[in-house]
Amino acid sequence: MPTRLQVLVRSDRALPAVSVWILIALLSVGGVGSIRALWAGNGPRQALVAEGERWWSTSPDPTNPVACATCHDDPAAARGWAASFPKLRPLPPPHSRVMTLLQANAEAVARHYGLEDPRPAATAITAYLTRLGADTIITPAVSAGQPVFPERMARLAASVTRGERVYARRCESCHRVPEVAVRVLAFPRLREGRPEPVESFLEDHRPLTPRLRWDGQEVADLMAALMARIAGRPLGDPAIAGRKEES
Amino acid sequence: MIRPALVLELAVGLAALGLALDARAQTVITGTVTSKAGQPLAGLALLEKGEIHNNVWDRGALVDANGRFRIEVSSGGPYGLHIYSSGYIYAPNAVKVDAGKTLEVHIVLVPEPTRANDPIVKRVGFFPWDAKQGKVAFVKMDISDPNGDLGPQVLAFNAAAGRAYAMAPPRQMRDLKANFPNGVYQLEVDTSAAPINPRDWHFVVADHRCNTTDILSFPHEPKPPRVVP
Repeated sequence: MPTRLQVLVRSDRALPAVSVWILIALLSVGGVGSIRALWAGNGPRQALVAEGERWWSTSPDPTNPVACATCHDDPAAARGWAASFPKLRPLPPPHSRVMTLLQANAEAVARHYGLEDPRPAATAITAYLTRLGADTIITPAVSAGQPVFPERMARLAASVTRGERVYARRCESCHRVPEVAVRVLAFPRLREGRPEPVESFLEDHRPLTPRLRWDGQEVADLMAALMARIAGRPLGDPAIAGRKEES
Repeated sequence: MIRPALVLELAVGLAALGLALDARAQTVITGTVTSKAGQPLAGLALLEKGEIHNNVWDRGALVDANGRFRIEVSSGGPYGLHIYSSGYIYAPNAVKVDAGKTLEVHIVLVPEPTRANDPIVKRVGFFPWDAKQGKVAFVKMDISDPNGDLGPQVLAFNAAAGRAYAMAPPRQMRDLKANFPNGVYQLEVDTSAAPINPRDWHFVVADHRCNTTDILSFPHEPKPPRVVP
């Protein structure tokens, strides 16, 4: 049986379903204020968000001061990014592929900031963008005000299908998918005081052998399948509020 | 009394005529380019046909002093629209235009905070290939990059033909994400119908970090770049 997203992406005729999900989700939450409140405060997670905002707005290289925000300076546009992942990241062929937000951020900061280990900066930026878009609705590959590209939707649908197979092979024997799907929204999280994106969690998850790579296609596919399950929910879902901070 | 069959024939005929007219309608990408302050910016609008960043360069247009451009394309579908203006970071935009329709966009460019990282165009030249008896000419551009991160966006635009081209690097590059070498990039041009006219040609280069040269137009004499105030 196809998932919600598969229905969404396999047929152009189903695209209006996006607005239906948005409507359902808006009706099911208590308003944007409550969602933003989940991410407010001065805790360690907020410090990660603040670090992400610094990476976003300031280049680490003073001789090349172009930062993310130099070009992407419209917060209204950037708000929708987090909720639109995983999606196809267009890159010179053959590098275009479906990526998670963290993977796309890592690719971007490695290129623009010249970082050898882009994961810490990408994790912080992911936390910042997720905070920025906490009240937006999860619509993989669809961003408000942007065209919908059938080819990209098809690539995402293929990724979802692969991800479902990865899940069945690696995860299903221990974890029920509805419970796992919603928990991905708790990332990036703090674990033993250190920022941990979901991609790193999957890479370090001991029962998973051979090991997944945080920046690999299998992780992106797995995330595409999980996010397809929760498409239509707000990114900062109150149902998982208690899991956002390290206990 | 009008026969039902005649009405049907008329309806089918009109529908076919409508489809034919629709098929002939132009497919156009047009728009305006401004600074954040709303000042119109002149420059270049160049298209990749298909998914953005695929390096399949297609049509293009000059952006006039009013910041306006218009590009007629051969078919609907996705395009990578790249906008360039001297002193500004180029803007890549994934767009989609329906066949027979006009897509109107508004692009806002931000100035480069420093020009110290821009690729440097040393010189441009036009060279007939004698062995081809005037049927082929080479357009050559000598480029270096202070950070060594040139990419495939070493671009030539023929305004008379409305065509954009990626110039071939000094050595073959299999990976478009790799850093491209400094040196002489070139483009082979068919001049069998008409000799090459340097006045038609414009050049721009952007590296992997989006640092963008000024647009180099005739007489193709590079000048030191300046930071837009």
